[in-house]
Amino acid sequence: MKLTHSKSFKILTEPLLANNPISNQILGICSALAVTVQLKTAIVMSLALTCVVSFSNLSISLLRNLIPKNIRIIVEVAIIATLVILIDQILRAFLYDISKQLSIFVGLIITNCIVLGRAETYAMVNPPGYSFLDGVGNGLGYSSVLIGVAFLRELLGSGKLLGIQVIPLSVYEFGYRDNGLMLLAPGAFIAIGLFAWLQNTWKKK
Amino acid sequence: MSDGFKTVIFAAALCLVCSVLLTAASSGLKPFHQTNIMLDKQKNILKSVGLIQDDESYSSAEIISRYNQNIRALWVNPSGQIVAEKQRGESDLPVYLYQQGEAISAYILPIHTRGLWGRINGYLAIQSDGVTISGFTVYSHSETPGLGGEIEKRWFQKNFIGKKIVDRSGNFVSIAVAKGAVEERIPAERQAHYVDGISGATLTGKFLSSGLKEILLQYEPVSINFRKNIIGKTHKVSE
Repeated sequence: MKLTHSKSFKILTEPLLANNPISNQILGICSALAVTVQLKTAIVMSLALTCVVSFSNLSISLLRNLIPKNIRIIVEVAIIATLVILIDQILRAFLYDISKQLSIFVGLIITNCIVLGRAETYAMVNPPGYSFLDGVGNGLGYSSVLIGVAFLRELLGSGKLLGIQVIPLSVYEFGYRDNGLMLLAPGAFIAIGLFAWLQNTWKKK
Repeated sequence: MSDGFKTVIFAAALCLVCSVLLTAASSGLKPFHQTNIMLDKQKNILKSVGLIQDDESYSSAEIISRYNQNIRALWVNPSGQIVAEKQRGESDLPVYLYQQGEAISAYILPIHTRGLWGRINGYLAIQSDGVTISGFTVYSHSETPGLGGEIEKRWFQKNFIGKKIVDRSGNFVSIAVAKGAVEERIPAERQAHYVDGISGATLTGKFLSSGLKEILLQYEPVSINFRKNIIGKTHKVSE
C-alpha cells in the first residue's frame, strides 16, 4: 500500500485542504482575526494551537473508555484548559514579548471550537494514534490559513515579513503606500474570505 | 460500584492530576516569569525616556546594562526633595532619575492607577524642566484588547511626548486623554495638555486621566522643585 493511500496519511492531510477547519468549516475565526497582523504572532499561535489540539486529542482518546458519558464535555474542557494553561506558562517564561502580544488569545484557545470539536467528534470514538494525527492535521490546517492570512496582512499592511522590511523603501518614494485596512479586522475578514473562496473553487474541480 | 460513584471518583482523579500538573508548571517556571517581569519593567522605564525604541529588539543583558548606566531608583519626600533609599521616610514616594553622569535629563514616576477592568501599571517620564512629558509607557493592564488595550500601543503613547503638565502661566493642569482627536475636540490653547483618545474606550481614558492627575498632584512638590531649579540640572545622591 502506498503511503499516500494509508489511513494515517488521509487523517493527517484531509484537514489541510479538503476539510480545512477555518476556510471550509469556518471555525476558530476569532483568533484568526486577532493574531494575524504579524507573521510572528500567527506562527506562535499556530504552534500553540497545534500542540493543544494534538495532545488533547491524544489524552482524551486514551481516556475515552474511562470517561463517564454524563460528564464527558466537562472532562474534555478540563483537559484542554490544563494544556492551554501549561502552554501559556511556557510562553510567558520563554517568549515573554510574544505572549504579551498574544494577550488573552492563548487563553482563548480553550474556547476555540476546533479543539473541543475534534475532541468530541473524533477523539472520543477513535484510538489514540489516529486521534493524535487528527489533532496534528487539524492544527496544521488551522496554521496554514492563519499563516497565509498573516503573510498577506503583514506584507500589504506594513510592507514587512517577520518584522523585516521586504518592500524596498525606494518603492515608497514613488508613492507606494501601505494598506492600513489590512491591519484592521476587516482586512482579516477579506483575507479569510479569499482563502475560503480559493478553497471552494479548488474543491469543485 | 454504581455509575454515580464512578463518575465522582473519575472527576476527583482528573482534578487531582490537572492541578498537580499546573502547580508544577507554575512553581517550576516562576523564576523565569519573575526575571521577565523585572526586565519588562526596566525596559518600560528606558522606553519612557527614549533610551530604547519600540520597534527594535534588545538582548536582556543590553537592557540591564543600559538601565544600570542611566537609571537610579530613589525616593521623593513630602517636601519634594530627592533622597536615597537609606534616608527614606514612611510617606516617601518612589521615583527614577535618568542621569547622564550627574546631569539629570528626566525623572520618571511609576503609574499605578485604576482602569476600567483592573489596574493600569506603567511609567510617566518628565523632563528636568518639571513641565514637559518625555514619555509614557504601560507594562501591564487588563483593558479590552483592541479597545482600552490600545493604551499599550505605540500610537497612543507617542502622543504624550512633548505635552505639558502646567499651563503658560505656570499653574498645574495635569495631562488628560481627550474624547476623540485632540485637534478636533480641544481648543488650541489647551491642546498641550491632552492626548488623542481611543474610540470605543472612553472609560479607560477617563480612568487614566484621573489617575494621572492624582499621581502628578502627589509628585507636584518635586515637580515644583524641578521648575524652580532647586533640584538643579545636576544631582548627586549620597549612597
